[in-house]
Amino acid sequence: MTAVIARNLEKRFGRTIGLDGIDLDIPTGSTTAILGPNGAGKSTLLRLIAGLARPSGGSLEVGGQPAHGRTARARVGFIGHATGLYPELTARENLIFAARLRGVGDATKRIETQLAEAGLTRAADRRTGEFSRGMAQRLSIAVGLIDDPEIVLLDEPFTGLDGMASNRLVERLKGLRRRNRTLVLVSHDVALAAQLADAAVVLRRGRIAHRESGDPLDPKILENAYSAASNLGVS
Amino acid sequence: MNALLAVLWKDLLTEWRSRDRAVAMLLFSMLMVVIFHFSLPGGATTATRAYAPGLLWVAFVFSALLGLGRSFAIELENDAIERLARAPVDRGWVLLGKTLANLVILAFVQAITVCVFALVFEMDLTPIALELAGVVALGSLGLCSVGTFFAAVAVRTRFREVMLPLLALPFYTPVLIAASRATNSLFETGAVSFEPIQFLIVTDASYLIASFILSDFILDE
Amino acid sequence: MTTTVSDRKQGSIPPSHALRISGAVLAVSSALWAYLVYSAPLDHIQGLIQKILYVHVPCWFAAYAGFGLTAAFGALYLWKNDERFDRVAVASAEVGVLFCTLGLVTGPIWAKGTWGHWWTWDPRLTMTLVLWFIYLAYLLLRSFTEGSTRTARFASVYGIAGLAAIPLNYFAIELFGGAAMHPDNLERDSLGAGMGWPFVLGAATGLLALLHLILLRVDLETRRVAASPALADWEHDEGF
Repeated sequence: MTAVIARNLEKRFGRTIGLDGIDLDIPTGSTTAILGPNGAGKSTLLRLIAGLARPSGGSLEVGGQPAHGRTARARVGFIGHATGLYPELTARENLIFAARLRGVGDATKRIETQLAEAGLTRAADRRTGEFSRGMAQRLSIAVGLIDDPEIVLLDEPFTGLDGMASNRLVERLKGLRRRNRTLVLVSHDVALAAQLADAAVVLRRGRIAHRESGDPLDPKILENAYSAASNLGVS
Repeated sequence: MNALLAVLWKDLLTEWRSRDRAVAMLLFSMLMVVIFHFSLPGGATTATRAYAPGLLWVAFVFSALLGLGRSFAIELENDAIERLARAPVDRGWVLLGKTLANLVILAFVQAITVCVFALVFEMDLTPIALELAGVVALGSLGLCSVGTFFAAVAVRTRFREVMLPLLALPFYTPVLIAASRATNSLFETGAVSFEPIQFLIVTDASYLIASFILSDFILDE
Repeated sequence: MTTTVSDRKQGSIPPSHALRISGAVLAVSSALWAYLVYSAPLDHIQGLIQKILYVHVPCWFAAYAGFGLTAAFGALYLWKNDERFDRVAVASAEVGVLFCTLGLVTGPIWAKGTWGHWWTWDPRLTMTLVLWFIYLAYLLLRSFTEGSTRTARFASVYGIAGLAAIPLNYFAIELFGGAAMHPDNLERDSLGAGMGWPFVLGAATGLLALLHLILLRVDLETRRVAASPALADWEHDEGF
């Protein structure tokens, strides 16, 4: 079963080409890393899968439905660059809102679990406006996972996390893998990606420059592919 | 529907915590009342009382615009708008939730404004209080529905404070014309004429339906 | 039609077929219209000033048609996601606002000449003003939005919404409109003999002019897009 299918996916911003014909199959339960230099289209691809923008051409389906529609959005969790938190609300209230918005039934227990996982139980009733960067990042991950989505998209989630929080997140992601969740991870950290993922795609100028799969992934191969893609010489 | 209630709850709670919007809108309204009082010659007379309905709606429109602009500015702070855009429901529900929240906050400001107006213009509005509330609610629904919709657009442009009134003006005029006519006849005769009310209902319905349908397009990135 | 680099440098690219045809038809129609306007009999009540209506009414037609096109092509853009539709939409809006402005200028001139007032809150004049505000909002929205995809999308939505605003405004003004100062209005049907044709041809010419200018503007836009350097800036920060 394929969670995400992209066929000749294109995204244009006026005259700028963000994605230039992407063909991609992401199987259910897999963990895919999307790598590449700045401007390659990694975030664009992720955001299209998340349903935040419409493709300019081609097709993109999540669970058999168009990625932009609400059925698809219900299955996808997205943890992006920005935290998406409301500074006037407490951590707990931010989670309550996210749960209600995503239609999670009786969320009380789940919220408490998420708070514990994020190490924010004591700070639960403080306004998120007062949080440090690391705390906000941890909470934003908790919020993104509040409805336990089948497909989880993460855009450089390790930014802003210290060593301990980083390890916690790695464990968390591994836990999601064990529960057969599909993960798609954008990262600059090739070694980390190799550790977590069983498939990788290297983007360059809106196209897929290299595909790799295997469990575990060989970080050396990925490093080479990444360097090749970053080399903006003659294509 | 759940999404609507969730957004409504969130907006009202956020407003309750900071109270910045309601206070700003209220201060602005009061300022306008003061200005009206000083700019109209002779204080409260029969002549100036004739202007009261129109001026009341002017105060309502400007304080509404102030509050509506803010309602989406808070969503941009941490890109929380993305979470709204990703809600697993028709995006129209999200917008409707925000519209209702804005309506509640506006209603609070309007209630106080009306009292102050009545004082300044020396009018006893208690016998028509209920009908007035009805007319104001209908008119305000029109202002908030289309206003919230365009606030979502305006907040992602370069001059958002100017953009919102500009976008909203052609849509506010029908509401204003009908609402001030209804308020006028209410003040003069104590009874509401049916035609303006009918018109307001049609306009409100049109605005709500149109913004529901078009919501999908304005919450994309 | 491909343009070579040398063509671009010379700055002399031949106009497209459609432009040539519409230009020719417009020239003929305008000449005919001008003649008819000149030779039409003077209105026995209003005198010479009535002739400005021959310009005002076509402007009015064109202004509304322009906005209709803006809204229609906006809807097409939202449906098909093809930026060419957006180009026509913006062209229609820019040309339409031109005619609307002309209408707002000629209207008061006529009003002053016949009723002695520069402005009245006559439903027709008020509606033209409302339309002008809608146009203005549309064009300013386009200027102030960043990112051409977002601009196109926002503009399309506003175009569609604006179209809906027109009937609502019309009925509001008709039913509850301002002061009851409706001056003795010359009925549109009370035209003397020999006055009908200039109006009909005027309306047609106005629409042709609208069409021609839109085509011109679309052509200009297409060239501008083709000539601008490809924005392949891979160093900038991706994502919004």
